[in-house]
Amino acid sequence: MTMTAHRSALAGQMPLISLIVLCAVTALLTDRFLSPLNLTNILVQSSIMAVIAMGMTFVIVGGGFDLSVGSTAALSGCVAAMVMLEAGIAAGVAAGILAGAAVGLANGLVIAFLNVNPFITTLGTMVLVRGVVFLITGGAPVSGETGLPGEFVEFGSGRFLGIHYLVWVPALLLAVLSFVMHATPYGRRVYATGGGREAAYLSGVPVRRVIASTYVWCGALAGVAGVMLAARLQSGQPTAGEFYELTAIAAVVLGGASLQGGEGTLYKSVIGVFIMIVLGNALNLLNVDSYWQRVAVGAVIIAAAAAERLRSRQ
Amino acid sequence: MTHPAASVEGVGKRFGATLALDGVDFDVAFGEIHAIVGENGAGKSTLIRILGGVHRPDRGVVRVDGRERHFASPHDAIAAGVVTIPQELRLVPALSIAENIALGDLPVRRLGPLAVVDRARMRAQARAVLAELDFDPDPDRTVASLGFAERQLVAIAKALRRQCRVFVLDEPTAALERREIARLFAVLARMKGKGTAIVYISHRLDEVVAIADRCTVLRDGRVAAVRARGAFSVADLVGAMTGRAMQETVSAAAAPGERLLEARPDGVTTMRLRAGEVVGLAGLLGSGTDRMLRGLFGAAEATTPVAVRGGERRLRGPADAIAAGIGMVPPERSLGLVMNQSVRDNILLPNLDALTRIGWLDSRAGDRIVAELIELVDIRPRRPELRAGALSGGNQQKVILAKWLGRRVAVLLLDEPTQGIDIAAKAQIHALIRDFVARGGGALVHSSDLAELARLCDAVLAVRQGRITAALDRSMGFDEPKLRAAIGG
Repeated sequence: MTMTAHRSALAGQMPLISLIVLCAVTALLTDRFLSPLNLTNILVQSSIMAVIAMGMTFVIVGGGFDLSVGSTAALSGCVAAMVMLEAGIAAGVAAGILAGAAVGLANGLVIAFLNVNPFITTLGTMVLVRGVVFLITGGAPVSGETGLPGEFVEFGSGRFLGIHYLVWVPALLLAVLSFVMHATPYGRRVYATGGGREAAYLSGVPVRRVIASTYVWCGALAGVAGVMLAARLQSGQPTAGEFYELTAIAAVVLGGASLQGGEGTLYKSVIGVFIMIVLGNALNLLNVDSYWQRVAVGAVIIAAAAAERLRSRQ
Repeated sequence: MTHPAASVEGVGKRFGATLALDGVDFDVAFGEIHAIVGENGAGKSTLIRILGGVHRPDRGVVRVDGRERHFASPHDAIAAGVVTIPQELRLVPALSIAENIALGDLPVRRLGPLAVVDRARMRAQARAVLAELDFDPDPDRTVASLGFAERQLVAIAKALRRQCRVFVLDEPTAALERREIARLFAVLARMKGKGTAIVYISHRLDEVVAIADRCTVLRDGRVAAVRARGAFSVADLVGAMTGRAMQETVSAAAAPGERLLEARPDGVTTMRLRAGEVVGLAGLLGSGTDRMLRGLFGAAEATTPVAVRGGERRLRGPADAIAAGIGMVPPERSLGLVMNQSVRDNILLPNLDALTRIGWLDSRAGDRIVAELIELVDIRPRRPELRAGALSGGNQQKVILAKWLGRRVAVLLLDEPTQGIDIAAKAQIHALIRDFVARGGGALVHSSDLAELARLCDAVLAVRQGRITAALDRSMGFDEPKLRAAIGG
């Protein structure tokens, strides 16, 4: 291997290196960081965002953008809770995920077949879907007279083999979806479409269908995240998921994906999520004022994107 | 003049592991056209980017008008009178011609405390410089409404207005028709007459022989030869560039075989392509050859019915065409390749279905096919994991060919397959096309280089205004002038 190959291999691991450095520095500054309780907290907090960020990775690798995931998660959580109270847990979970997939399909069809800008389209659905959530819930949390079914609440707080169910979900999804992205023809077509839509089209890739499909993944995964959130909050919360889209996009970019499309990896996006969550956790433990926390998180996102640009310019 | 208009002495530049320039001396005098030629990767672009302030040399000196200069940016170079016209013109399509010419130095007038753009003066200035180029468009038209040749004139007008003293052109004729080239040469001759120093980079060596007063040949980052006018011919230059004598590719007279493709690309005339045959589409820019080729690939607005191996089908998209056994090499390499994906992924893109085993990709079989194809078409370096965008133009074109060879298509549609690539790669592409048809394929080629069509093709269809107007067969004999007459050029 040449020097440049070494350097680019190192650059490819920047997200992981950043995360390790961040953890090391935090562990040195405060002894509470490495406590089992805190680490568990970080894992659980990261789990829901990781699921959303994986969906966002599909869309961004395909050359798109999705602002509607926060609203979609809220919709899915509320729909899941409402259906669950009437027809049982399985039906509720399925309905929640399907609701998310339906929002994604609507986004995908408008963007891929009507050629509407993804930013505008999903800005629209972000507002629209939130409105629908308030309409169907009347603005009140959905938990029924006696609360959501016990097993569902158990899913939101219980553990399997010592690890929260909520953490198992993104772990399994990451394994399955990484396979889809890297080892199936479909996944390679997503990368090709995002990297060069016209070139992919002229190579026989059905680019419109591929683009639409990435939004369906994103919506369905936002749906999964919404159901997880409902389990954790023991109710469907119509106001849940606000600003999730921004955190998810920031995490995907921190994970090294390019907003031009064609670049990005699921596990690195998950690392990006960890960076966001650990950073927030560290600032909390260090008693940084919450207003300053926002300033710091915003600055980190811009710095990461700028570092990426500087590196690719060389 | 005692000193040259611009010069570099002992310039060296390294990018990572590649030594792009290794102690190059170069100078251009006022009122001289000095051409730079060399194969891809010889260092031409690096040299003019150093002159233009884009790159800083690792060592060596840059002088403009006798003074040593250290350009920190293209802006510095322009301020010193060195203006570069790159291959991709830096114009703003949405703005008017006049605004583009004035951009960066807008004429203003005072309106009380405000400075506002003096539109009347801006228009007048634009008209004046455009008149020097014998070009008289409405200065309020947007640049987006112009063709490439006209845009190039706008870019030159912009340079003229900047009082440029050293004018650098990178492959200015790559996308021009013959008449447009003649106009460009007239412009350059006039600028030269006024004492402007002109640095001219081109792959078209006949042009260099025609207009250059001196020619510097670069090879592997060093100066291989510097010759004065009259002391070089195309064959000399090729010899100096490659370090070996030129080998002409001559088309083999293949016995026509099975009928592979039959269609009416213009809706009227029936065109047939047989196995073993290379058919050319000759036409001027705007004659519709590009639309015909896209149409045959199912990628145009209106698609024509196409019979492949006798079976008539309607192509609703490239996917249908590919399934029928047709491959396409588009006119721009960015349309043929996903530049930020690897060579491997690009070659496999149209071949994914064939490599799918119950839902997943057989990546070992993929690696094997990619390795074979890279060897077959001679892609350098032999690194399948490299991004396609990192390869030279000639190697990118070979990757595009490899995609379709891997797919074992019966018919290749090629639009400008050798535009802007060096002469050695060009010969390789020609050999690959001949080899493809010798193995039972058929190729339909458009090129604006008529000498290339005359050399490569068994038959040529002349296209004018979207119609096939004549068919010329090799047996009747054709050469560049005959083809030119047939297309009205």
